[in-house]
Amino acid sequence: MDEGMVCKREPIEREQVIAKYLSRSLDADAVEEFEGHYLGCDECFDELRISERLAADLRASNLAWKQTDGVSVLRFKANAELTHSAQELDELRREVLEQSDSRVIIDLSRVTRIDSAGLGQLMSCYSHLVKNRGALKVLNPAPEIRKLLDMTGLSTVIPTFQDEREALDSFKN
Amino acid sequence: MDLSKSSLERLRLKLRYKVLYHVGHNCADVDDLVQETLVRFFRAEQRQLIRNTEELGAFLNGVCRNVILEYRRRSRREPTLDPDTPIPDAGIRPEADVLEMRDAIDNGLKELAERDRMVLRSLYLEGKDKEAICREWALTDAQFRVVLFRAKERFRRAYNTEMKRSTAEEH
Repeated sequence: MDEGMVCKREPIEREQVIAKYLSRSLDADAVEEFEGHYLGCDECFDELRISERLAADLRASNLAWKQTDGVSVLRFKANAELTHSAQELDELRREVLEQSDSRVIIDLSRVTRIDSAGLGQLMSCYSHLVKNRGALKVLNPAPEIRKLLDMTGLSTVIPTFQDEREALDSFKN
Repeated sequence: MDLSKSSLERLRLKLRYKVLYHVGHNCADVDDLVQETLVRFFRAEQRQLIRNTEELGAFLNGVCRNVILEYRRRSRREPTLDPDTPIPDAGIRPEADVLEMRDAIDNGLKELAERDRMVLRSLYLEGKDKEAICREWALTDAQFRVVLFRAKERFRRAYNTEMKRSTAEEH
């Protein structure tokens, strides 16, 4: 595939190259060619950035963020499952592990189910944030989720709050 | 070569994008790598070492690749003394300006049908081919185009507005 001439091709073909670049499924040579091209082509670089935004929005489709007192509060917009096969698990990973925010509260109020993969993901998020001199707290878990956090000992590592203000204030200590 | 302030900034933005793609967003040396690439590039240009001026992008890309490779070798040879220094992640994520727009652009996809969203996810997040997606969702080529370009158009409008605003702020 000649990525070097990407803007000379059909728009749909260019979009496929961009999509593969963003999802990291282009091979190394194709990545080199495409980068060599967009460094010299404003049109393709703009298209890449527009598609990147689209992809970012798709990723975060069930997640909403807000910043309060320098803390990122992440919540699910609809009921979510943090289970092995759930899309939300991947979204959570991307949103926490691939962002630069280091002080994060995850609002679990809309999480209806969690399994070992979900608990493992929370632990990964916690380790990542602590490594980056930050912290993770969770907010409003449903009773059955809270029970699991207690049973696995996760609640002794990741502080759990029922009130958002209280959770936010805990970062000041 | 056009060395106006705006074209230099544009070049810097593109290089930053490439560097971030390869070293990850936790790397603290992104701006240094971009600067080093630009210095080497302009030095080569002054010495008239760039033979094919039609392929400046490819040349710049080669310079940037070497800068990144040298940085990786150096990092391996001289690991950081501070064990708490963040480990570079390999993922790509949007620039800070995109993150600030997270809520603002949320409307972009809100109106999309669930099927369209899934089609777009397959393309942009899962890296599937158009043919495979069309088969999976029983879409014709024309239907696929409509889904794709309608969604892109929404983001293009937001992007163009933002570009105009940042250009106006520069002047």
